Amino acid sequence: MPLDVPTVSYALPEGVDPPGLLAYLDKRFPVIAEPGVSRSYTVLDTADRRLRAAGVDLDLETGRGGPRLVLREAGGRAPLVAEVRRPRRNRYLLRDVPAGPVRERLAPIVEMRALLPLANVQVGAQLVRVLNADDKTVARVSLATPVALVGGGDAGALQLTPRVVVTGVLGYPKPLGRVTAAVRRGPKGGLVDAPASVADEAIAAIGGDPEGIRTKVLVDLRPDQRTDRSAVAVLCDLAGMVEANLPGTLADLDTEFLHDLRVAVRRSRSVLRELKGAFPPEPLGTQRDALRWIQAVTGPTRDLDVQLLDWDHLVSGIPVERHAALAPVRALLVRHRAAAFRALRRELRGPANRQAWDGYRAFLAGDLGPTRDRPDAKRPIVAVAGRRIRKVYRRMLVMGAAIDLASPAEQLHELRKRGKELRYLLELFGGMWPRAVVKPMVRSLKELQDMLGVHQDRQVQATYLRGLAGELAISTGGPAALLALGVLVDRLDAEQREARDAFAARFAAFAAADQQALVAKVFS
Amino acid sequence: MKVVATYNIKGGVGKTSAAVNLAALAAQDGLRTLLWDLDPQGAASYLFRVRPKVKGGGGKLVRGRSDVADLLRGTDVEGLDLLPADFSYRHMDLALDAAGKPTRRLRKVIAPLADDYDLAMLDCPPSISLVSESVFDAADTLLVPLIPSTLTVRTFTQLGDFVAGEVDRRPQIVAFFSMVDGRKRLHRDVVATLPATNPHELVHSAIPAATEVELMGVQRAPVVVSAPHSRAARAYRSLWDEVRPRLGL
Repeated sequence: MPLDVPTVSYALPEGVDPPGLLAYLDKRFPVIAEPGVSRSYTVLDTADRRLRAAGVDLDLETGRGGPRLVLREAGGRAPLVAEVRRPRRNRYLLRDVPAGPVRERLAPIVEMRALLPLANVQVGAQLVRVLNADDKTVARVSLATPVALVGGGDAGALQLTPRVVVTGVLGYPKPLGRVTAAVRRGPKGGLVDAPASVADEAIAAIGGDPEGIRTKVLVDLRPDQRTDRSAVAVLCDLAGMVEANLPGTLADLDTEFLHDLRVAVRRSRSVLRELKGAFPPEPLGTQRDALRWIQAVTGPTRDLDVQLLDWDHLVSGIPVERHAALAPVRALLVRHRAAAFRALRRELRGPANRQAWDGYRAFLAGDLGPTRDRPDAKRPIVAVAGRRIRKVYRRMLVMGAAIDLASPAEQLHELRKRGKELRYLLELFGGMWPRAVVKPMVRSLKELQDMLGVHQDRQVQATYLRGLAGELAISTGGPAALLALGVLVDRLDAEQREARDAFAARFAAFAAADQQALVAKVFS
Repeated sequence: MKVVATYNIKGGVGKTSAAVNLAALAAQDGLRTLLWDLDPQGAASYLFRVRPKVKGGGGKLVRGRSDVADLLRGTDVEGLDLLPADFSYRHMDLALDAAGKPTRRLRKVIAPLADDYDLAMLDCPPSISLVSESVFDAADTLLVPLIPSTLTVRTFTQLGDFVAGEVDRRPQIVAFFSMVDGRKRLHRDVVATLPATNPHELVHSAIPAATEVELMGVQRAPVVVSAPHSRAARAYRSLWDEVRPRLGL
């Protein structure tokens, strides 16, 4: 962004208060102090802190004019503002943000995720404008004393680091340099860099995690570490992700809580399957059943989420005059999704799940028993995981080579399932091998998997939509909807064929001779 | 980025006052706003205390040899930046004539800023010239202040005819009454009758002839900033609220 102006933020050290710094500036520059302002806002972000990762701050302010979103980015540009309604169910989805600059900026970052309140902050601020000889503002200094409100303010306030923020004005770099240098020297021996953003500090102060819910496993594995301990460490991290995503799934805040929960469960199942030699067979079977059950009870809702998330894309490819006729199809999908979700919530809240999950946690925390029936338990993780990567890769080569234009869709789906195993092995344990080897392998695998994913999703979607025909036929607008449904299913079939056509090239890249040689050499 | 030009063939009708106040209101509403002071007199630049100087002058700018981002200046209104005037703009007709495809030049100058701003407001000098034609090409909307008098109405008609007949990329025209003096019978009559003949182009909000607007030159700030509760500021707010939806913002 070429129009950015620098913004620097310092913490006020103990013993220096805002009036003291203001007097210090007043002695050195022509300044105008604006009246002090107090601002209260709620920090909004997705559960996985996508806005934070993109360098965006989004605040919900509630003033006399009603609630509004204020979006700020690094670079000192003026904030973007959008008037909004009060949040429904304590969240905003993208569709709740009116069309305009704020939504345009949020859309590619937030996608389908909900914007959630992460902390309530109150900031008392004194704004000082630094002027040039023409009395023109050439830099802005803000002296802020933020607090995090606990329980919306009813349970008190926690003091955060007071800070001074210097923001330049476009086209006036020299005054900014002078002001920044003076502020950095500061009264009483100088200022120090602010420790973290106000939002992060506030979230941490009320007991939250500023990093948000992770999707990446962060376990420091040593190559010579025992396989059973390595596996348990990874599984515990994944179990934490399942638990972190469960409340959002049950509250149905957005589709990705369920998605991330399912991914964490699937990865856990993959670890238990691929490293089964590290676990005693019997408790292992029970725990694998427990995780499989979670996948089974959450599957229908996820399938319908995919249908609805893909809806706009799919509908965009069919003639506009058919769109209205498709409304009953979408309404039916929404109804089915609501029913599937009710079943999911009933199951996940039920005693069977609680008991199974407690059992799984106890399994991870407990003693795995003697190693005589766990042949891989004591072996170094680098050897066991490397062997599995090599074997799954080789197996995929055989499966892929057997696929031709006449092969049934199930054969591609089986290959995709194997591909997921390989991908999880590489994502969870790949850090033990050179990045230069793992990264291109993951890339070619991902390209293959994306194609296989589209192939399978379109298959599932088309089958599901065909299954709606009976219900549609007896609904209002049914005949027109059935005709439009046919067009939609044709489109799904076409996309499936396109994916299928891309298979040979994607698989060839994945199975390239140099990659085969590298896998054999590196993971042996 | 939507491009709006305050334009009238006549001078002294309130173009600059409208440009600076509406740009300030847009910025206050959270729109990233650019104001380009195209008038060599540099009144808008003066009001924002920005020196009317463009490195390389207008000739280099319209030939595409200046990096426009380097020429921008932030104003005292957060969210509002200014591309200042330069005295060399008095020769802009000649500079445009010397460049290829002169009527597309102004659009090209601001094109690199399209992702950085939601609104570009062009404050144009009075006249009908090659500069005007280039403004018409660049603008999505011409915002035309009209003093309620017979001659002003005649020039408005001329403008409509010219845009309809001579301009390839026709901007929409939105007009409003400016410097309205309710004590003058002619003003009252024109304000009462003209909307009936131009119902789509003329908005209801009108800017009064007010001392606060004249005092902008002393305060060196838009009246919506220096006297936000004044009658004139309220009139600009009303005008902006009425015009904004027509701009698609």
